[in-house]
Amino acid sequence: MTSKKVIELFYDVVSPYSWLGFEVMCRYRTVWNIELKLRPTFLGGVMQGSGNKPPGLVPNKFLYMTKDLNRLSEYFNVPLRSPSDPFEAMFQKGSLNAMRFVTAVQEKGKGGDEQVERVSRELWRRIWYEDKDITEPASLSEAGIKAGLSDSEIKELLELSNSKEIKNKLKSSTQNALDYGAFGFPLVVCHLNGKPEMFFGSDRFELMAHCIGEKWLGPLPDKPAAKL
Amino acid sequence: MSSRKVIELFFDVVSPYSWLAFEVMCRYRKVWNIELRLRPTFLGGVMQGSGNKPPGLVPNKFLYMGKDLNRLSEYFNVPLKPPADVPEAMFKKGSLNAMRFVTAVQEMEKSGDERVERVSRELWRRIWYEDRDITEPLSLSEAAMKAGLSDSEIKKALELCNSQEVKEKLKSATEEALDYGAFGFPLVVCHLNGKPELFFGSDRFELLAHCIGEKWLGPLPDKSTAKL
Repeated sequence: MTSKKVIELFYDVVSPYSWLGFEVMCRYRTVWNIELKLRPTFLGGVMQGSGNKPPGLVPNKFLYMTKDLNRLSEYFNVPLRSPSDPFEAMFQKGSLNAMRFVTAVQEKGKGGDEQVERVSRELWRRIWYEDKDITEPASLSEAGIKAGLSDSEIKELLELSNSKEIKNKLKSSTQNALDYGAFGFPLVVCHLNGKPEMFFGSDRFELMAHCIGEKWLGPLPDKPAAKL
Repeated sequence: MSSRKVIELFFDVVSPYSWLAFEVMCRYRKVWNIELRLRPTFLGGVMQGSGNKPPGLVPNKFLYMGKDLNRLSEYFNVPLKPPADVPEAMFKKGSLNAMRFVTAVQEMEKSGDERVERVSRELWRRIWYEDRDITEPLSLSEAAMKAGLSDSEIKKALELCNSQEVKEKLKSATEEALDYGAFGFPLVVCHLNGKPELFFGSDRFELLAHCIGEKWLGPLPDKSTAKL
């Protein structure tokens, strides 16, 4: 069997399109011959470093994105629901603490990327379905519990979140993404013949499949006949 | 046979992603039960009216788009090649004359959009493959000749270009796009049960097919078995 193609997924739980990309890549881990590497990163840092602005700041784009996310939620079977105040949730409160927490889970957690996947999913669910906070330690705790972490693990990870080590780790992920040329998330980096091939957004899967020599079966690969 | 679904395609030849969507929609006219209406419009006006900025102004986005368009060109089989000086071609010279010309050609059509399709394609080829001017009357003439218009038709179209009627017509198409909520092109508007459903970009075809009850066969529907 040929060696697995390494695919990195740079994401931030503040980003709804990243949730779509994340669920698709997780589903395809058992379908495509790939090794998926989750890269929790800080979108705010990428925006700043690339001189980009969040798309929702253009009124017509914001209105379009709301409808677009509704349709995609149904088509991708990912329970997306806009927070009641998206600007407050995304721009004022943001995701720095959340992504430091996920980084701590990845660096120090005993559950590997499986745990990172579960914690990330619970955080997305909080902000992008339940309209709940993701900035306070109590919020991160709740998400951790739902993801199957023990109380002592959570306590340890919350402390670690504020450590220099974790802060630097998140900064360096963010720099990594910028070095690849990121300007937003989700960012998928496929390593083909030693060269990185970038795919921005959650709407390049068909093209990505073509580039990596796999077949795109739609967002629900377990049910391909019903979807395509 | 159920009545055809009306689909409007708002486009501007200055936009490379619009060329991709244009070719796909033209190919699918014979595959899907749709009535495609070409809507030549002015992207500059839509940008201004929506307070948006061209994506290429963010350096990392510009670099990404260059590579993205290369891949898409091959996958969609549309011969895209950026002009040597993209900002000059797209932002300084722009497409106002070109889109007035296409609008004039559309006004002269007695039925259907065949000439609009051919002239638009030749203009895209000029700017987005041959790296040639699309602003001068001579350039528009050459494109129209390649599209099969007669000398007298070309002369008439050039005169109409500068008429109040055509200028108003282009302004009003631009206004319509903005009323739909446009912030960029290509913009596909599907009319379903009397309601307009918007799809921005050339990467929503799979979702579009799902929404209108058709099947997405990839960008080359004639070779569907080879592609998917």
